[in-house]
Amino acid sequence: MTNARTARSAREKSAELRAEAARKEARRRSMLVLSAVLAVLVVAVGATILVRTAGDQKAAQVAASSRPPRNLADGGIAVGNADAAATIEVFEDFQCPACKSFEDANAAQLAAWVQAGTARVVYRPISILDRSSSTEYSTRALTAAAAVVDASPAKFVAFHTLLFANQPAENTPGLDDGQLVSFAQQVGADVPAVQTALKQRRYDTWIATVTDEFSKRGFTGTPTILVNGVRLEDWSPENLRAVVTKAAG
Amino acid sequence: MTSLSTLLVARQPWLSTAARALLAGVLVLAGWPKLLDPEGTVRSVRAFQLVPESLVRPVAYGLPMLELALAAVLLLGLGTRLAGAATAVLMLVFLGGIASAWVRGLSIDCGCFGDAGALVSDPVPGYVRDILRDLLFLGAALLLALRPRSRYALDGLLGLHPEPAVPPADRPAGTDRPAMTDRPAMTDRPSARRTGAPDVRSPT
Repeated sequence: MTNARTARSAREKSAELRAEAARKEARRRSMLVLSAVLAVLVVAVGATILVRTAGDQKAAQVAASSRPPRNLADGGIAVGNADAAATIEVFEDFQCPACKSFEDANAAQLAAWVQAGTARVVYRPISILDRSSSTEYSTRALTAAAAVVDASPAKFVAFHTLLFANQPAENTPGLDDGQLVSFAQQVGADVPAVQTALKQRRYDTWIATVTDEFSKRGFTGTPTILVNGVRLEDWSPENLRAVVTKAAG
Repeated sequence: MTSLSTLLVARQPWLSTAARALLAGVLVLAGWPKLLDPEGTVRSVRAFQLVPESLVRPVAYGLPMLELALAAVLLLGLGTRLAGAATAVLMLVFLGGIASAWVRGLSIDCGCFGDAGALVSDPVPGYVRDILRDLLFLGAALLLALRPRSRYALDGLLGLHPEPAVPPADRPAGTDRPAMTDRPAMTDRPSARRTGAPDVRSPT
C-alpha cells in the first residue's frame, strides 16, 4: 500500500515536471514568435517612414531648382483692382464638383465686382483630388493653368472658366493633355508654354507647396472662400453678396 | 444560455479565424489607398488637429504600412495575440480621434479608407457610422487578443496556443491534480468529461 502510493506519487511528480517543461517550452516559443512579429512590424513601419522622409528631402532639393509661375500676387492669381475694399480668396481644385458649383453660382457676380473695382479676386488653385481620376487630372489641369498664368496672365480667367465648364466627372480618366492644350489655344494663351509645362510637369513642386500650405492653415476641403481673410461657411450668391457689400461698404 | 456559451466556446477557434479574416480585409482596405496617396494621408492626419506638425508626416507615412503589416500577420495567423492587441490599440486610437473631432465640432471625414479628411457639411452621421464600425472591429481585435487560438493559423503549426488537453476519462475522482481553471471549455462541460469527450467541438 505504502509502496504503491510512493510509486504513484513519483509518477505524478514526473508527469508534473514534464508538463511544466512543456509549458516553459510553449512560453519560450510564443515569446519567440511574438518578438519576430513585433520586429517585422517595427521594421516595416520604420523603413517606410525613413524612405518617405528621405524622399521629401530630395524633393526639397529639387524644389530649390524649380520655380513657381510668374505673375503671382501673394502666392495667388490676383484679378482686379489691388486697392479694392474687398478681397475674395478662392481655394479650389479643378476636379472638385463643389468648386464647379461655386463657379456656376458666382462667376458672373465676381466678374462684375472685378469690373466695377468693388472686389479683387485671388484664385488659389490647389490639387487634392488626384486620386479622383486615373490620370492625376487635378495636378495636370492646375499645371496647365499655372503655365497660362506664367506665359499669358491676361488669359487666366478665360482658361479657368473653360476648365470648370468642361470639368470631367470624378473617377474617370479626366481630360487628356491634348484637350488642356486645345483650351489654351481657344483662349489665345501661349500654346507651346502649356505643352512644355504639361510634358515636364513643370509646376509639381509649386503645386505640392501651395496644397500643403492650404492644409497647414487648417482648411480641409474645397472650395474654401475667404472674404478679407475671414472664411465663409455659406458661399451662396446671396450670402457672398451680403458679405462683400458689407466689406466694401 | 449555457448551451449558447458552450457553443461559442467550442466554436471559438472558428470565430477567431473569422475575426482575423475580417480585420485583415478591413486593414488592407484602409491601408492600401493611404499608401498610394501619401500627401492625401498627410492632409487627413493634419485635419484631426491632434498631432503636432513635426509628427504629422511620420505618422501619415507609418500608419498605412502598420495597417498593411498587421493585415499580413493577421491573415497568416502569426503572433495572433500580439497582432490582435495591436489592432485593438489602433482601433482605440481611431475611436479617440473620431470622438474628439466630433466633440471639438470639426467638420471632417475621418479619412479612414483614404478619403482624405475632406470637408463635409453635416459630419455627425459619418462620425456615428465610423464609431459603430470601429467598435465592431475593436471587439474582433479584443477577441483575438484574449482567445488567439484559431483555425488556419501559422501559430498552430508553430505550436502556439495548443488545444486544451482533454483529461483522461478514467482518472479517479479525488486525485489532487490542480484544477484547470484556465480551461473553461472543460469545466463548462461535466458530461463531456464523463464520457471522455470524443469531439470537443461537436455543437450539441
